[in-house]
Amino acid sequence: MGPEFGRLAYVRHIITYSLSPFEQRPFAKYFSVGLPNLWRRFRGQVLRVGPLFMAGYALYLWAIEEEQRLKRKNPADYVNDE
Amino acid sequence: DLPTPSNISAWWNFGSLLGLTLLIQILTGFFLMMHFSSSDTLAFSSVSYTSREVWFGWLIRNLHTNGASLFFMFIFLHIGRGLYYTSYLHESTWNIGVIMLLLLMATAFMGYVLPWGQMSFWGATVITNLLSATPYVGSTVVPWIWGGPSVDNATLTRFTALHFLLPFALLASLITHLIFLHERGSFNPLGISPNADKIPFHPYFTMKDALGAALAASSLLILALYLPALLGDPENFTPANSMITPTHIKPEWYFLFAYAILRSIPNKLGGVLAMFSSILVLFLMPALHTAKQQPMSMRPMSQLLFWALTLDFLLLTWIGGQPVNPPYILIGQTASLFYFIIILILMPMAGLLENKMVEPTYVTPK
Repeated sequence: MGPEFGRLAYVRHIITYSLSPFEQRPFAKYFSVGLPNLWRRFRGQVLRVGPLFMAGYALYLWAIEEEQRLKRKNPADYVNDE
Repeated sequence: DLPTPSNISAWWNFGSLLGLTLLIQILTGFFLMMHFSSSDTLAFSSVSYTSREVWFGWLIRNLHTNGASLFFMFIFLHIGRGLYYTSYLHESTWNIGVIMLLLLMATAFMGYVLPWGQMSFWGATVITNLLSATPYVGSTVVPWIWGGPSVDNATLTRFTALHFLLPFALLASLITHLIFLHERGSFNPLGISPNADKIPFHPYFTMKDALGAALAASSLLILALYLPALLGDPENFTPANSMITPTHIKPEWYFLFAYAILRSIPNKLGGVLAMFSSILVLFLMPALHTAKQQPMSMRPMSQLLFWALTLDFLLLTWIGGQPVNPPYILIGQTASLFYFIIILILMPMAGLLENKMVEPTYVTPK
């Protein structure tokens, strides 16, 4: 069912080499390349995600305060009461 | 073995996690059902007995209730992956998936009624009453569903039966979902054909899914063991009482976005239609796809709209849990409107604009 190994794609002039897993360091360059790559991927997305969620959080904080304010009397109306 | 694209990311783990969560729910639910009594006079105390007296009953119950939350968390992330990487272009797989979402929502709704707490009873009353908005047949259908003039013993017994049955319908849909998926093979984040670079599912993705499962199991255990009532409502610790209405009737967190959309329209039928449309709009996703590039990986405008939709969903979830007071009313109405505007208008428009921005890579020979 579906594409199977042996009839996936016809690719010409591709030569592949591989190393035995016993001759490799399993976490090679995990930090030295991985962390800068993580930073690169973060920078690529942060301006599309961050501002929106910051605005959403600001709306959330404002709405909670506004609801509390609307439930209370306005103190300024009673300033001159004796 | 199953040829799988080598570049599928963590977002592809949620499918297997959903299957695992379904298994956990069926197993824990089965053990809970051994001790549950579906009579309205016995339900609440049978759940209490299970938690207190049955060997590890408290754990089975906590796993089941928090497993439901995890199920919805995973399905929302799974659907989010489907929207971002345009997996909906596998139409048969996608349509079965939406049906599974509807089945899951029905199962969870009925499951919440079973403990027969205050929120179980009143949530069932509110939501089943919505069907009375159906023109002509509404007022007849609702007592038919209830099995009487109100939510009562008859409702509980049939919800118990349906809550036991529907997960197996979900299981059958899952198998169909996988059959359709395997006809074409998985998508991948790049959106181009992965056939030239596929690797066997075992051991690469069995191992990756095992890691995902370990992380999911950890979160489930943290919830079940340390914070079992975090996502629940305190009202449900009180037995159902048809003479006392809770101050704030609201569903579990995973239904709050739909609850917000329901309440945003002042008309009952309008609210019900909007609520159902918010889920059924997923069926339209394949038709609304306008971009030539499949996934959003290289479409910045669509990405922005996707995150706006995610934020909108979170805002709706928050608003659904709040009382109907200003300024929440306006925020809820605006967020509900934006939910539909983003999906139906802005995302297709963004796709069309992005098509114009892509340079052609060849010139048609003369």
